[in-house]
Amino acid sequence: MKKLKIVCFSCKFSWGYLTDDTLLAADIKNWVPIICAGKIDPEYVVEAFTRGADGVLILGCPEGDCHYQDGNLEARKRLAILRQALLTHGIRPERVKLVLSRNPDGKDIPVYISEMAKTISSLNQEPVSTERTS
Amino acid sequence: MWKTSETGGAHVEQAIKQLLPPCQIKCPINEDIQRTNVLISLLPNTMEEARGGIIQIGEHLYERNPLFNICGYVCGLCELECNYKNEGGAVRRRLLKRFLSDTYTDYLKEKPEAIIVKDRGDIAIIGGGPSGLMAAYQLSKLGYRITIFESGDRLGGALWLIPEYRLPKAVLSTTVENLIRIMGIDVRYNSKLGEGRTTVKRLINDGFKAVFIAKGTPNARQLTFGKDIVEGQELSGVMYGLDFLYEVSHGNISPDYFKNKKIIVIGAGNVAFDTARTARRLGGDIAMVCLECEDKSHRDGIPADIDEIRGAWEEGIKIHASRGVRKISGKSGKFEKVHCPRCTRVYNEKGFNPEFDTNDEIVLDGDIVIITIGQAADRELLKKEGLLDELGRLSADPHTLQSQVNPHVFIGGDVRRVGFMVEAMMEGITAAESINQYLNGENLKTVKKDYEPFGLPERPMYKQPTEVLWIPPEKRLHFQMFEKGLTLREAIDEAKRCATCGPCVSCKACISIGFEKSLYAVKVDEAKCSGCGVCVYICNYDSARLKSKDGKLTSDTDIFRCKSCGMCVPACPSSARQLVDDLTAAKISKTLTELA
Repeated sequence: MKKLKIVCFSCKFSWGYLTDDTLLAADIKNWVPIICAGKIDPEYVVEAFTRGADGVLILGCPEGDCHYQDGNLEARKRLAILRQALLTHGIRPERVKLVLSRNPDGKDIPVYISEMAKTISSLNQEPVSTERTS
Repeated sequence: MWKTSETGGAHVEQAIKQLLPPCQIKCPINEDIQRTNVLISLLPNTMEEARGGIIQIGEHLYERNPLFNICGYVCGLCELECNYKNEGGAVRRRLLKRFLSDTYTDYLKEKPEAIIVKDRGDIAIIGGGPSGLMAAYQLSKLGYRITIFESGDRLGGALWLIPEYRLPKAVLSTTVENLIRIMGIDVRYNSKLGEGRTTVKRLINDGFKAVFIAKGTPNARQLTFGKDIVEGQELSGVMYGLDFLYEVSHGNISPDYFKNKKIIVIGAGNVAFDTARTARRLGGDIAMVCLECEDKSHRDGIPADIDEIRGAWEEGIKIHASRGVRKISGKSGKFEKVHCPRCTRVYNEKGFNPEFDTNDEIVLDGDIVIITIGQAADRELLKKEGLLDELGRLSADPHTLQSQVNPHVFIGGDVRRVGFMVEAMMEGITAAESINQYLNGENLKTVKKDYEPFGLPERPMYKQPTEVLWIPPEKRLHFQMFEKGLTLREAIDEAKRCATCGPCVSCKACISIGFEKSLYAVKVDEAKCSGCGVCVYICNYDSARLKSKDGKLTSDTDIFRCKSCGMCVPACPSSARQLVDDLTAAKISKTLTELA
């Protein structure tokens, strides 16, 4: 089985801020820490799939903890709509995951990524493009 | 663990008008409250790991306020204006600072001495209370050699009168002793103004370039009724709260001094409550008498903090509100009774001017009466030092604190106007700035700063404040702290409540720890903008706004309110918004390109 490509965006205010980015990056491929989940443009998610990603994981702050008041909830709203749109193109909702939680040392980030990879591979062994017809 | 860097330091600029969070405006010294809250909310989960972060936060606070360890126990003025107060309760900023204090006070003992070249001359400071210490700190930083002339045998001034159940002596002494050590400030104890060589004239002759008078208000105010001094104040068994608290702080009063005694405390300010609650802890049965009424929201309401009133009530102290004292009577030179007519009104249009109904009078018996109705400066001494003007006022410019009768002299703190600790500290800062300008031959700044507060940003949910735990009243009649401090977990959660309503320029917490490179400006491409207003809806800070230009609606961004969060950028349906110099999009593109 080929290694799945999961793109991960994580909010800096809840995820991995106690560990040096470069240290964490050694364990996390395709990872972009970002100031707020609410800043993630759905277009980035679409682009990730067009470039061959198997899934996109977005890590935001727990409800009520967003430094910018409601960026995490904005992200949730946008992704809910985006999943609908992606489905019409044959991309299953499970391929876009949002976790609203907190992990300051960032050690859970690779765990979430491998969990997601497992879900996707059990979903469908085939590449993204074939889901369109399923 | 993150490391804060200097480039991310926040400073309140000396602007004429400036937007700030309301807590920071309320704080007389404009402390970086929001920044502290944000950094506390990002501390690690164990004390062992968090210690380094706490000290970094403390170091930043110390730069502005070397007495913050003490403020964390006794102040909390900022909480009165917290925007969160209408959404369940103000962010408990005082307890957050006390949380920092508990680690930082220990660290102070090992904090290295500041390396400063002091070649700008000598300055004398009369009085080692909060105002004098603050001025000494600021002037030392500027390179002046400071000598504090302290009338007593310890530094801290009136802070020593705060009972130990509210402010542990160890916190106070560690803070002031280390301040002197770190800044290399000379102190001459038992040096009273007007005695020996400690007169304004001699100090100037001895080479001190300026003198800052911050000698506080050592004299207790006598009880008056109408325009007359109330008779009976010379009786044995009549004392003044200030003297009483002073003796207690020196350990001169035994723990059961008031056992089986009935004590009457006159007054309703915070000092009166300190007196009553201290006397209660010495075994007394306490009744308070005050002019003010129980309804704190009323113009004539009790002026003390609500927590003091609640604490006293819980501890079994009876408050006879709306009562004045007409007469103190006794037998064979010993106090026996106070005669208390009803006070019908405390303030009128002209200010403090109590009115009484002498037909409605109660008489209270007691063994001791303690008068705590305020304090005053030693006017005779100030007159002798030539500091009063022709009208007999201690006149100093309210903005610069320079004496109007002697330009070498600056006056601040309680001696000028009795106030909160932090107000005295602010006067110390102001005096230091003025002295520096005066000695540099510059014009003294007389402009009052004007700040405009931010409102509460739109939030989807508000959280309740952390519960403040007090030891139950039956178990707290001793001098240990009765209020429980926050645990690390509670501190992180409480700090996370902060809605960070202030502008980023006064905070920069995210920049100081490398979350962001700078505060990006939002640029709106007016050609693309359709004026739909989605950005106005999405912005939680009232920063994105619509304006009409040449008959066309377009949006723009108020840079003072913008937090550079970037939420409006993906929200814009016509891609008209972008963050200038923000590299996030480029980083994402690079990562996605590398996928293939």
